Amino acid sequence: MKSATATVFSFRYRLPPIRVAEISFLIFLAVAMGLPLLFLLSGSFNLAAPGRAAVYGFDNWIRAFSDGGTLGALWMSFLLSVVRLIPAMIIAVIFAWLIARTDMPCGNAVESFCWIAYFVPDFPLTLAWILLLDPNFGLLNSLAKSLPWVDGPLFNPYSFWGIVWVHTSTGGIWFKVMLLVPVFRRLGAALEEAARVSGAGTGTMLRRITLPLLSPMILAVSVLSFIRGLQSFNTELLLGTPAKIYVYSTRIYDYLQQEPRAYGEATALGSVFLIVLAILLFIYWKYLRGEKKFTVVTGQGYSTMRVKLGKWRYVALGSCFLYIAVMMILPLLFLVIGSFMRRYGFFDIAAPFTFAHWRNLFADPLFWEALRNSLIIASVTALGGIMLYSGVAYLLVSRRTVTAPLLESLCWIPHVLPGILLSLGVLWLFLSTPLRWALYGTVWGIALALILADSPVTTQAFKAGFLQLGPDLEEAARVSGASWSYTYRRILLPLLAPIAAAVGLMNFGSALTSISTPVLLYSHQSRPLAILLLEYSFTGELERAAALGLSMTMIIGGMMMVARKFGLRLSRSD
Amino acid sequence: MGKRLRLSGLILLSLWVAGSASAQSKVGEKDWNEILNAAKKEGKVVVAGSPDPVMRNEIIPKFAARTGIPVEFIAGRSSQIVARVETERSAGIHSVDVFLAGPDTTAIDLYGNRMIDPLRPLLVLPEVVDGSKWKSGKVWFLDPEERFVVRPFSSVATMLFVNTDHVKPDELRSYKDLLNPKWRGKISTEDPTTTGAGANMAARFHTQVGEEFVKALYIDQKPVSTRERRQMSDWLARGTQPICLNCREDDVRPLVKEGFKILEIFELTGVPGTINGSPWLLSLANRAPHPKAAQVFANWILSKEGLETYARGYGSATLRTDIDESYLNPGNIVKKGTKYFDDTDWKWIVTGRHESREKVWKLLKTR
Repeated sequence: MKSATATVFSFRYRLPPIRVAEISFLIFLAVAMGLPLLFLLSGSFNLAAPGRAAVYGFDNWIRAFSDGGTLGALWMSFLLSVVRLIPAMIIAVIFAWLIARTDMPCGNAVESFCWIAYFVPDFPLTLAWILLLDPNFGLLNSLAKSLPWVDGPLFNPYSFWGIVWVHTSTGGIWFKVMLLVPVFRRLGAALEEAARVSGAGTGTMLRRITLPLLSPMILAVSVLSFIRGLQSFNTELLLGTPAKIYVYSTRIYDYLQQEPRAYGEATALGSVFLIVLAILLFIYWKYLRGEKKFTVVTGQGYSTMRVKLGKWRYVALGSCFLYIAVMMILPLLFLVIGSFMRRYGFFDIAAPFTFAHWRNLFADPLFWEALRNSLIIASVTALGGIMLYSGVAYLLVSRRTVTAPLLESLCWIPHVLPGILLSLGVLWLFLSTPLRWALYGTVWGIALALILADSPVTTQAFKAGFLQLGPDLEEAARVSGASWSYTYRRILLPLLAPIAAAVGLMNFGSALTSISTPVLLYSHQSRPLAILLLEYSFTGELERAAALGLSMTMIIGGMMMVARKFGLRLSRSD
Repeated sequence: MGKRLRLSGLILLSLWVAGSASAQSKVGEKDWNEILNAAKKEGKVVVAGSPDPVMRNEIIPKFAARTGIPVEFIAGRSSQIVARVETERSAGIHSVDVFLAGPDTTAIDLYGNRMIDPLRPLLVLPEVVDGSKWKSGKVWFLDPEERFVVRPFSSVATMLFVNTDHVKPDELRSYKDLLNPKWRGKISTEDPTTTGAGANMAARFHTQVGEEFVKALYIDQKPVSTRERRQMSDWLARGTQPICLNCREDDVRPLVKEGFKILEIFELTGVPGTINGSPWLLSLANRAPHPKAAQVFANWILSKEGLETYARGYGSATLRTDIDESYLNPGNIVKKGTKYFDDTDWKWIVTGRHESREKVWKLLKTR
């Protein structure tokens, strides 16, 4: 017995730490991400009613895909996603470059606006766009009609291009800028300077040096955005239905709403996202596996000197602020005004303004309970995500793991499952574990579910960051006698602090605003603010929902200032 | 039994005792106190239902104050609640005691999947089991066995709303008036191509008037559809779509208070009025974790105090005879001797509506 224990011990001891970490992460991700997916997939073949003995067959899949509208809806989703992605990606890259790589003044302010814009709740913001663009009563159309050469409405939000426009405002470039800026910042100036010395202009330098070096993150953000676009749903529901524009996610939603619920059909349709992801990941891996090098931070000196724009710096700043003013401040202004209106958007009623919605919100004891819950959930999610996925990302880029493709695929799973299906899978997982007393219905369980849901964005952001760090940094530390954990803590993480701050804050904000993940997991005691927002919206209390949405945005704004200071200080301290 | 408990039991009973001797299984003060005592020991009651301000702001505080039993309210869309409860049960967890759910969820999911217990034997308060307190002469159990699902409300539903700045009441007297080309593009409806109020109304028209009318109204008249209820009432108020087929009364009521000229139409010539059991049907979960607390809640919510609180907040008519209905729009009150289409009829929910809805969807997909 003693010798057997010793053998096991020595076997364990012989495993290098990186292998232990790899196996641990693999087991965790396989259980946390893989099992819910398997549960949903196997459930999609179960034809029996809930609570009855399982009967397996393909009927759910056949029914889902033989529906005449399914293919049309898939095509519409694809078109909307592509059309949105290309211009938004170009604008986002320009924004990130201007903020992080040039001497454009007020870059931090521009970046802060992008952050705030991302976390403004999209539902009331879409309503704000309706108030601005509606062909019958929209403010901009009314203004346009006063022009002598305009005799009809110029804008129509209930159209393909209306949906594209509103998407560009509600989430379009902001999310991309948030993820791109930290990696643009990390780009050393040496290569750009070398290009300049060799006679390259700004355009050539951007095309030949900057963008190729940053391509892993640009590609990752594109994949993330494309799949997000395919899954997009709220704006299409509000603007697409009157114009009879139906998207793929609407069909999934319909299956989830019908009586009795058709989770099998919904999962069958959701599996298309898995296929799309598999194709995109294959292309992405192929690209990264080539001979290209993306390292920009090495042990041989590091400068982040910025490109001088000369007199164009004010033109650039003006363009950024014009874009932000039109796409964010204008609808946000309507949202703020809406929260003080007795009826959102009705200016012609007697005494249209009131503080009642804000007063009622703060007088609601549920608000304060939910606020406390949300702050705990969001903080745990942000910190947990950083700790977990920085480790996973390190393994993915270390080239010393044998299971990297599997690890990475598992990390992407939450991104391809529609939110409510992911929530159902996680609910099943929690209830199947002996830890269900600690996970189900508690703030800790919701935080864990949100950490899982954040895996694609967080892992890809850290991965892009690690790809920029040269191996000589680690080697130098090791030669100097530093342990792996010391190197990770004192060298790598400080260099990645801006990325950690960015994704941490992003996850904090997502945790605060996410509805679909906690919707099946919360209890009376752990109800977060987002669920309260859902309840207000569901019961038509739109003005109070607007006030709550703005409160959440303000909390995120406050956290943003703290996180930016913290992240920047960390990155400078070492 | 403590002094406080005896006192609260006495208050409850004195509020509820109606004095009729014809009740099926009413209890005395002592028995009720025992139930209340046991319920308090269970610590709480877990109620699942729609996220409803009346529930949140009025029912929960009032019930807790009256009985000393706190309410945990799991609010959400019925699809989410049922998904959650089904998954919990597959893992052997039973967390919900009481369901306040819509007719489809109750009949198809809760009753259909045997997730509820008989409620009839648990109704014991004299004023609840006293038949004279109910318009139908007894507590109305909807399910075929008349034991599981209670329907406490029955109101005449608004058929449609019109903005009279744009549509004169005389212009909409018969259902055929809806087909006037003048209203093409001027009618709003909740999306009839998916489950919900829009499809339910189309299914009713299909059954009551026929396929040709549904085709003419939902295809030829080019109604504007949405899935956001607030959008419809906004369009109605602005006159963009001055005829609204599926606006909700609680959305429109504030508009009327604001002075918008909005008229509720309850019936049109050729289509009888519709009654329904909105906002919810009552049932008790089987293997409930707090069975006594659930019993107390069920009895209280069906009492005059419970139902009146809900009905006044929500604006619907109850089936109790002892509630003053002056707070209601007279059009919402069911008139004796008038023939209505019952949208919460069990057979209609389980089979009729489903079949008609399928026919409507098939028809609308051909456009």
